[in-house]
Amino acid sequence: MNAIFSYDFLFSFIQMILLVVFAPLFSGITKKTKALLQNRTGADITQDYYDLYKWWGKRTVVTPHTGPIFLLAPFMYLLSTMLAAFLLPNMLTNLTFGDIFVFVSLLAIGRFFMALSSFDAATAFGGMGGSREIYVSTFVEPVMLLALLSAILKNDTTAVSGMIFNSGAQQINVAGILACVGFFILLLAENGRIPVDNPDTHLELTMIHECMLLEYSGRLLAVIHLASMVKGLLFMTLFSMVFLPLSLPLVVKIILTAVSIAVMETLNNKMRLFKVRAYLLATGGLLLLAIVAQ
Amino acid sequence: MTNYDVIFFEIAIICYILGCFTVLIPRAKQLFAHYFAQVMSILGSAIILFIAGRYLLVGETALTKVVLVGNYTLAIDAWSAVFLCITGIAGVITSIFAMDYALGYMGKRLRELSGLWNLFLLAMILVLVARGAFSFLLSWEVMAIVSFLLVNHESEKKDTWLAAYQYLVMTHIGTAAIMIAFFIVGSGSTGLSFGALNMSVLPEFARNTAFIAAFLGFALKAGLVPLHVWLPNAHPAAPSHVSALMSGVMLKIAVYGFGRFIFGFLGPIEFWWGAVVLIIGLLSAFLGALYAQMEKDMKRLLAYSSVENMGIIFSALGVGMLMLTTSYKEYAVLGFTAALVHSFNHSIMKSLMFMVAGAVSHAVEDKNIEKMGGLGKLMPWTAVCALLGSVALAALPLTNGFVGEWLTLQSFVFLAMADAGTGLRLLAAFAFIMMGMTSALALGCFVRLLGIVFLGRARTRRAESAHEVSKGMIIGMAIPAFLILLAGLVADPLVGIAQHVVETSIPVRSVISAESFLLWGQSGGLLKYEPFILFFVAVILAIFSWLVIYRGAILTRRDVTWNCGTVPTLRQQYSGTGFSKPVRRAFDFLLKPRREVVYLQKEHKYFGRSMVFTLTIPDRFTEKLYIPLQHHLVKTASFLRRIQAGSVRIYIGYVMVAMVLVLIWGAL
Repeated sequence: MNAIFSYDFLFSFIQMILLVVFAPLFSGITKKTKALLQNRTGADITQDYYDLYKWWGKRTVVTPHTGPIFLLAPFMYLLSTMLAAFLLPNMLTNLTFGDIFVFVSLLAIGRFFMALSSFDAATAFGGMGGSREIYVSTFVEPVMLLALLSAILKNDTTAVSGMIFNSGAQQINVAGILACVGFFILLLAENGRIPVDNPDTHLELTMIHECMLLEYSGRLLAVIHLASMVKGLLFMTLFSMVFLPLSLPLVVKIILTAVSIAVMETLNNKMRLFKVRAYLLATGGLLLLAIVAQ
Repeated sequence: MTNYDVIFFEIAIICYILGCFTVLIPRAKQLFAHYFAQVMSILGSAIILFIAGRYLLVGETALTKVVLVGNYTLAIDAWSAVFLCITGIAGVITSIFAMDYALGYMGKRLRELSGLWNLFLLAMILVLVARGAFSFLLSWEVMAIVSFLLVNHESEKKDTWLAAYQYLVMTHIGTAAIMIAFFIVGSGSTGLSFGALNMSVLPEFARNTAFIAAFLGFALKAGLVPLHVWLPNAHPAAPSHVSALMSGVMLKIAVYGFGRFIFGFLGPIEFWWGAVVLIIGLLSAFLGALYAQMEKDMKRLLAYSSVENMGIIFSALGVGMLMLTTSYKEYAVLGFTAALVHSFNHSIMKSLMFMVAGAVSHAVEDKNIEKMGGLGKLMPWTAVCALLGSVALAALPLTNGFVGEWLTLQSFVFLAMADAGTGLRLLAAFAFIMMGMTSALALGCFVRLLGIVFLGRARTRRAESAHEVSKGMIIGMAIPAFLILLAGLVADPLVGIAQHVVETSIPVRSVISAESFLLWGQSGGLLKYEPFILFFVAVILAIFSWLVIYRGAILTRRDVTWNCGTVPTLRQQYSGTGFSKPVRRAFDFLLKPRREVVYLQKEHKYFGRSMVFTLTIPDRFTEKLYIPLQHHLVKTASFLRRIQAGSVRIYIGYVMVAMVLVLIWGAL
């Protein structure tokens, strides 16, 4: 109970709010960079805020078969990402209320409820998305744990605050670089980016994440998109803090990550769904090397 | 003063025995017999829960070395108290559920069902308090036979008795293995009481053999791969409340027995024992989760999920055993604590889910999930309980299911850190990969179960007209659902108790310099996870979002889904088989599903023909291991039958040949 009235709690809470507020901005940076790389002018960096505002004001249309889970799922998705944001260590405090496994598992709450809601509209598309999401996560999850294990072994702790890369104390070694590459691939896979998923299309052959939210509209859609953006920013922050071996300010590192996601998306194609298995297993091999080389 | 423990324990046993004797009540009063038996089992289980809980929380008991009859001594220590607690809780909640649920068996040997129910609980409790090899094995055997009779309750159905007899054979192989283990350990000790067995001194080879026998026996009861084949057959055959008790408690009794062996009887632990337990545990977890996601029968699905969770429990035990052989002995506590905590939590959530399966199949009269759908609106209370149970079994944070898996992951971390060499580190990496796949598959499995059964539209007429179950059944399900949340939020003291139990149980041979360390606490603990604070934040966010998102003009128009100009039909809804297709395809090489397409009309080759598609996923172990084994067994037996000609003269000839051989051997 004492912990609730501590400054650590307050700062973590403020950080959670800040991450939610700035998440659309970083998503905008990725989109703008991608547009520039594709010789388009692209929308403004702040476009995502306008989109969210637009959806927020619209009416929601719901299929008659749906029940409370359908309305609850977007909130649970946002809640899981916000709780994870609450757990990240920040500039002001080192004390957090859960370790890195808790952080990753919290995000699974969002996946659980989004996949669940995909059944509720009783259409073919929803189930397709949920099914593919579960398939991809079956291979993302073990590789993610390997990435975390490599970071844990490097720093001898499971607390995120103990893992923050510090160029003064740590050397850049082969294991670190392997883990960095491995986690970057995971970041793409976990956030529905090319080559695993394509966030820009609505084609039944390719989409995974977008499939599940096809039935959503209006304010609920805004909540889901906001949650996805927060999740993206969370992974970018974790990547920049723990895995990216550069001695730059955190914000610069996050922007760099956002830009490199755009570069990766421009250079690559969407992969066939059933090739994702081999792709992620190769990533797992990379991380295994990182663990052995530690 | 403290003699109350003994008196109450005896009252509990008398309650169960009275419950057993309700079979003698005339058939005309079967309803009274049933209610009386269930009240007795609730009462007995509550007393057991009280005694065991008192021992764990207050730390005192008079139940040490009580002589029941003749040489039959019984006693409670910390290790058995935890499992008595598990039995007590599950006994109370499943008996409440059974009160209304078993009424479905009215006129179908209801009195026998309720009487055996009490005997089953009694046998499990006697296993836990037995303090000698003989009394342990006797109670173990009673437990096995009573559970066989309960599984075989609907013996008119062929599937049921096939499953029941398979279970009977398998469980006796297990009992034989445990007997062998006891005999080997007993050969090196002064007696067969547990105290004497703990002091047994054995040569290397005998200890290894005893370990193999004990692991075989208990792994069979726990349903670890490849000895799990009876489990997914026995569970759907048994009445649902029996499955709940079998999966919730009986499998944990195997953990209890195995703990007795590794903590005491077998002496110092070898490195390879731990490695074997860990690897078998991990494989069980992974394969259990994989098969669970493929399954269409709701209770088979839950049975495979039990295989998965028992795998997690045994892998945590394996880590503890491995740590005892390294130089970081004190961290072995973490692995054993994880196993204990997960045993406790799993018994609650799995009893709940089997009760849900009972309620649903009661309402739909079918266990096939493909024939359900949309039950969430018709059975809201069952649906909420199922949601909580599924969330816990998918190991999501803030539920109790997460705590055990999280502690198991932490024990893997310590395994990786324990040694500078890469051997243990690679083992830990393997454990991480398996646990990652397991948790993702389990999440998918329970999303699929909930989604197909409770969400969307009803797939059959029967599912359309389903009704919510009676209040008694809802109460039986609501209590464990509440416990899931409670044990998830106040996990800290629970883990503390488990740690204390482990610390008092391991150093039978003082392997650990009994220096307690704080595993998990508000400050200075080794591990960090504060569910209460996360829950607090979640509540703040929930209130906030209610005010901002949901209360305003969110809704809404209800309108049919856009389906490219057509009205979506029932058949466009995703099926459970379809949902698990990508995973099935990815693991094709393991599952080897059998697909069969039959064309019914042949007038047109390409147009308008109807076809039937069947997909079966046979259990690979049954196909590749058990059926060939059975085949060879029958072949050998029929070969040996040749010498059994049935003629007395030939048998006398055999006796003479044997005598001559013995004489020659003696002369040599």
